[in-house]
Amino acid sequence: MDVTLTVNGEEKSVSVPPETTLLRLLRDDLNLTGAKIGCDVGDCGACTVIMDGIAVNSCLVLAGQAGGRSVETIEGLADLDAYHPLQKNFEDLGSLQCGFCGPGMILTAKQLLDDNPNPSKEEIQDALAGNLCRCTGYTKIVEAVADAAAEMRGDKQAA
Amino acid sequence: MEDNVKVAERDATLEEMREIDDNLRLPAVPDQVSYPIVTDTPEARTQTPAVGQRASRPDGRLHGLGQTKYIDDMYFPGMIHAKIKRSGISKARIKSIDVSEAEKMPGVMATLIGKEIPINSFGPSYQDQPVIADEMVFHAGDAVAAVAAVTEQLAQDALEKIKIDYEPLDPVYDPIEAMKESAPQVHEGGSNIYATKVIQKGDVEQGFKDAYRIYENTFSTQMVEHVPMEPHASIADWDGNGRVTLHSSLGRITLGRADISRTLDIPINRVRIIATVVGGNFGGKNEITTEPILALLSKKTGRPVKGIYTREDEFISSTTRHPFVMDYKTGVDKDGQIVARKVRLVCDGGAYCSWSETTLGKACILSAGPYNIENLYVEAFAVYTNKTMTGAMRGFGAPQVCFAYESHMDDIAVDLGIDPLELRMRNAFHEGSASPTGQVLQSVVVKDSLEMAADRFGWEEWSK
Amino acid sequence: MKPFDFVKPDDQEAAISALAAHSPNVRILAGGTDYLVELKHVSQSPGTVVDVSQIAELKGIEETEDGLRIGAGVTHSAIMADPLIEKHVPAMIHAAHTIGAVQTRNLGTLGGNLVTCVPSMDSGPTLVALDAEVTVAGPDGSRRIPLTEFFVGPRKTILAPHELLIDVIIPKRNLGKPTNFYKFGLRKGQALALVNAASSLWVEDGKFKDVRISLGAVSPVVVRAPKAEAVLEGKPVSDDLISEAGKIAVTECNPIDDFRASLDYRRDLIDVLTRRTLQAAVEIAAQE
Repeated sequence: MDVTLTVNGEEKSVSVPPETTLLRLLRDDLNLTGAKIGCDVGDCGACTVIMDGIAVNSCLVLAGQAGGRSVETIEGLADLDAYHPLQKNFEDLGSLQCGFCGPGMILTAKQLLDDNPNPSKEEIQDALAGNLCRCTGYTKIVEAVADAAAEMRGDKQAA
Repeated sequence: MEDNVKVAERDATLEEMREIDDNLRLPAVPDQVSYPIVTDTPEARTQTPAVGQRASRPDGRLHGLGQTKYIDDMYFPGMIHAKIKRSGISKARIKSIDVSEAEKMPGVMATLIGKEIPINSFGPSYQDQPVIADEMVFHAGDAVAAVAAVTEQLAQDALEKIKIDYEPLDPVYDPIEAMKESAPQVHEGGSNIYATKVIQKGDVEQGFKDAYRIYENTFSTQMVEHVPMEPHASIADWDGNGRVTLHSSLGRITLGRADISRTLDIPINRVRIIATVVGGNFGGKNEITTEPILALLSKKTGRPVKGIYTREDEFISSTTRHPFVMDYKTGVDKDGQIVARKVRLVCDGGAYCSWSETTLGKACILSAGPYNIENLYVEAFAVYTNKTMTGAMRGFGAPQVCFAYESHMDDIAVDLGIDPLELRMRNAFHEGSASPTGQVLQSVVVKDSLEMAADRFGWEEWSK
Repeated sequence: MKPFDFVKPDDQEAAISALAAHSPNVRILAGGTDYLVELKHVSQSPGTVVDVSQIAELKGIEETEDGLRIGAGVTHSAIMADPLIEKHVPAMIHAAHTIGAVQTRNLGTLGGNLVTCVPSMDSGPTLVALDAEVTVAGPDGSRRIPLTEFFVGPRKTILAPHELLIDVIIPKRNLGKPTNFYKFGLRKGQALALVNAASSLWVEDGKFKDVRISLGAVSPVVVRAPKAEAVLEGKPVSDDLISEAGKIAVTECNPIDDFRASLDYRRDLIDVLTRRTLQAAVEIAAQE
């Protein structure tokens, strides 16, 4: 079946079998491998992308369901001028160890900050509950999200 | 974004172009000043300049950009996909395997069974693990056949077409049961106990006779899977000159190379392993898994073959942390000083040895805890059972025994009416203490750190 | 996944025709947080998958003359953010918050949670405690039934393959009724309920009125505890009576004994959760 969707602001058309997930479509057909296959059943959050402004597990969305919708992946977060404050703070604080959870973690955090520019520690933890990190870097991840939020609000100077 | 590109291409000076590149950091150029740069030799027991400083990882930027290429993110021309069929039965004799229906399926490039593996055994301590089970199945996660096909889904579908006739045999799951002589043998020929360690120090029986009180308890821990975020992954490419290149998430590539060359029966210099960025190891990716299978499928098809574990494969087939059953008997004097301790450890090794022997040794040495004990006897056994095999995992036997001896210490403290911290202070190692195996210890700060920790979280207040 | 046909109807009517046209080899896909997991593991193709996740008619939350109508396609996140729900049934917000994690709530729908009909569903108890009804539509028209009749068994509802769950209606008389939901899982996020419970009640002249106690993960489907309710009904509010209700509720359930929790533990939880939800509902009533 033919699927047309907007990915990182650009319209893309692909032809895939109906049983293709959005995750496979992004990875195999559009070569956007930032979203990872961790569990493939919606538990780990490594495949998180933002679809029409909300964070979803792309392994639980069929390609056909994504048709006509707007998808934002980790590849669309940085542009030529700068990368996103979340990416910068995740790097500066050493929040990413093996890095496999990183893209999903950052995108979930982005949706949180889009909705709530000044989240409490508890709100950050609650928002990231669906993104697992086995290197157990949660403390630094939560710190990085808080710092990025402060930077985006202008409360903290970019380093 | 488009505007930026145009501006950059048309007007940018070299400086600006560099800046743009730098913003994207492709390839990753770590910021040198972000590392701790003070390198003075610290005085003993002072904090080194590294402690308390932030260090960013050199690969952190690409991780955040989603540009890090893990194995599953790589693609090679003509690459095909392999899937592994699991036995689903914990002990059986394989009477027959029929892969003909699978091979007939369009899109299926090759199949592989155990009999086609040149040397079908491997393992870091004992070579007791088949790459693909050929005659016997030892646990439900055993590989029994593999398929390579043009898509993952086709390979998965083909697995269902493979017909295997099993003769079910009696399994044994409980390590204590497995130690009995009457228990079914996991591997034929001899006992299920495949490693034994003993530590003896002083006279433990005399120690118990002199003791004011004696405490006994049994502790057990469960099996734990590493669950790395990235499942086990490899790509094998057998080239025209008979050399195999493997991109693998393997942690110990030198050891893996030896194992792969052995199982494939080719000289080690024909095996090249390219270790990639690994999405979490924690000890679970220290041994080869499907690499020989992928190599042989690549040899058969002349294509690069990718094999990624499903999450299910990861749980049922990869190594796990050893469950332990631990019997503790401790004699103390009136002041709570430990006068004798006897420990019996049974390590449930699962179907294959893997790193169990090493784990057992470590657990054995640490099982008495960081305490001065004059009379000590430790015996430890690693036992086969028909379960998912156990192997290396963070701590290597230490967390299990730590759980047991510290729980045991708490029980003793409660019964004697001594503050649990005080009981530990009375018994803990000091400078020059000897470990159970006679190693004289230096730089022993266990009491200092206990005191400091107690002080920091207000133990006195909390323990009232 | 096994190959299947994918249909994405534009509206409710087209969805029902599509279901009828492909019945019985047809499955409905809404949020997909449960069904896609199943689909990845089945060995038989479902035939046709009808995607109803984007149908606007299934998305509304509105006050009607019957009460509060919540479309079956409303996601858990949408429930959490809705002002009408916050005003009339705030317990639903708490219940929705306990489901999965952000990503799951962003995709998963109220209707999906009910249709999947797992005993530990977190949407069920609150709705049952509020005497919710559901509308089911098929090619021959629609019917309205009480939610308790909608549940048949684990993963089994009254829905025929060609029928679609349209909406959930909370009766007008129960809007604003003091209600509390409590879920006990092994973790805060992404955990199945070992036991979950909801209680709703009015307090009139210091006495219990219209008490509803509803429990999940303790029987094949979400159930009420009528004997425990009867003990309280019409009696003066007291902690002793609430304790008694908790003990009686235990006898009205039939929990399983599995690796997540033992039978005894679940029984204790039923007692504790019944008490806590009743107490919390009484506190809410006192505030009003």
